[in-house]
Amino acid sequence: MARSGPEQANEDAWQPSRLSRLIESDGFAAAVMILPATLLLGTFFLWPFFYGVWLSMTNWDGFSQPAFIGLRNFTRLWSDRIFLGALENNVIFVFWVVILKNVLGLAVGLLLQRAGVGRAFFRASIFLPVTMSFVAVGLLWSWIYNPIFGLLNAVLDFTGMSGLKLSWLGDANVALYSVIAVDVWKWLGFHSVIYLAGLQALPTEVYDSARIDGASAWHRFRYITVPLMMPVIFINTILAFSGAFVRNFDIVYVLTKGGPNHATEVVLTDMMNRAFSDGAIGYAAAMGYVLFLIVVVLSVGLLMLMRRWRLEV
Amino acid sequence: MTATTFDEERAPRDLGKILETAGVYAALSLLALQTIYPLLWVLFGSLKTKGGMMNNIWGPPRSLELSNYSEAWRIAGMGDRILNSLTVTALALVVLVVVATPCAYALARLRFRGRAIVLAVIVGAMLVPPQVMAIPLFVVAAKLKMVNSLFGISIIYAATSLPLSVFILRSFFLTLPTELEDAARVDGASRLDILVKVMLPLARPGMALVTIFAFIEIWNDFFLAFLLLRQPAVQTIPLGLVAFFQQYDSLWNLYFAALMMTTLPVILIFVLMQRQFIAGITAGATKG
Repeated sequence: MARSGPEQANEDAWQPSRLSRLIESDGFAAAVMILPATLLLGTFFLWPFFYGVWLSMTNWDGFSQPAFIGLRNFTRLWSDRIFLGALENNVIFVFWVVILKNVLGLAVGLLLQRAGVGRAFFRASIFLPVTMSFVAVGLLWSWIYNPIFGLLNAVLDFTGMSGLKLSWLGDANVALYSVIAVDVWKWLGFHSVIYLAGLQALPTEVYDSARIDGASAWHRFRYITVPLMMPVIFINTILAFSGAFVRNFDIVYVLTKGGPNHATEVVLTDMMNRAFSDGAIGYAAAMGYVLFLIVVVLSVGLLMLMRRWRLEV
Repeated sequence: MTATTFDEERAPRDLGKILETAGVYAALSLLALQTIYPLLWVLFGSLKTKGGMMNNIWGPPRSLELSNYSEAWRIAGMGDRILNSLTVTALALVVLVVVATPCAYALARLRFRGRAIVLAVIVGAMLVPPQVMAIPLFVVAAKLKMVNSLFGISIIYAATSLPLSVFILRSFFLTLPTELEDAARVDGASRLDILVKVMLPLARPGMALVTIFAFIEIWNDFFLAFLLLRQPAVQTIPLGLVAFFQQYDSLWNLYFAALMMTTLPVILIFVLMQRQFIAGITAGATKG
């Protein structure tokens, strides 16, 4: 009896304490905390992602019953001249955008670092386009490029270089590069600010001793700044690279809609056309996954390349 | 004697330094000019008469045509567009912060089964841009009756901004000291109590950062809006601007006024908060 007393009391307290212990346990709290996020990601990331894999293997037109056709959409893409042209434009776009954003971004970062007085003002003014929407930037530049009252041709007239005047977005040979220039203009401030932060974090002692040893400005840049900045260069390259592949629809759509004659067509503009003008939903979904696979393969390649370079440096 | 040689040696170097500084400032001024002047050009243009652009492309307007703004407001239906954009952005940001913060806290502090899977899905979602799965996303949204719905696109914006926000908030929670939480636990507070009463006040800077980033992203978004809002009545500002531009491309002065009205608020917010902006970007990039 003396022993069963406390046991009896334990028995009574068992249920509520177990329940409250469950409610107070980390597992329960975690479940409550992550449930909403899981629901959102499940519905708008996992579901469309896997559903889209299936869609890309159908001939769905948006109305009739979709039929499974295996990989036929993907093989058809290989002989689709417009798609291949769009893919080529996409690669040219990414190549120039990554190079220009990094080279110019580092150059502007170095300039900003040298500016003691007024650095905040110059940094803010160069950063300004980053805060503008792609639409505002695109519409602004479609007026700057306007062959009749555009700012660019007016500048060329004013500086006596009228011979360089072009129909910037109407000429199939230059239109893609005109679009690339706008994207670089919009993002230059973003990369410059990151480069500036990287430069400001470099140790000054190394530069002082290099100067005492008589290293020239170029040598200091080549053998101190560049190696020490490799991680920042790496981040900027990855950011520019991943952005350029998939964040080009807005700017191309607003400036040229992919024209003239597909000269500025990129994969996303082609994809949206096929889906919503031609109703080729399955085919368009396949385009998205081809783009995704290319981004994955190139990103992994870039990562490996970067790692090797960093090891050598 | 020694003093003069010293000076002679020094003088050209000083001159070189002055020239270098002058060069730096000249280059920076040109850079500032090529971002600020186009915006001034839009401001000037928005105040000119319709014929004023032809004979005065460059300069400030000779007289102020303020009526351009009211005219643009009316023709472009700016009132409705702004209301749509405000509704969508506000709703999306509230959902985003309410959903992302507890998730980030749980991932940073709690040990639970399935934690690795949740983290993997979040990192995966960060690596798969929504653009490449736009077509299936549209079909899923259509199944859920979320096409042409301001509520629907708000939820989808919250979902697409979620992975990066959780990631940023999680690394923010990881930098906070655990002592306060431990003390609260000794006092018998539950995990939810701790999150709401102890961590939320501390996490405010991280939440502000996430909100600012998501605000710019959602307020400026064209792609998902173009995909999911296909009726004029639900269009947001970026869609309305493009539609206005394509419909009335000869009314360039009204069009500049509309561009100014939509760009200026974001620029003002940036100018007021530029310190936080730039600190956030550089912290995000150099830590990541």
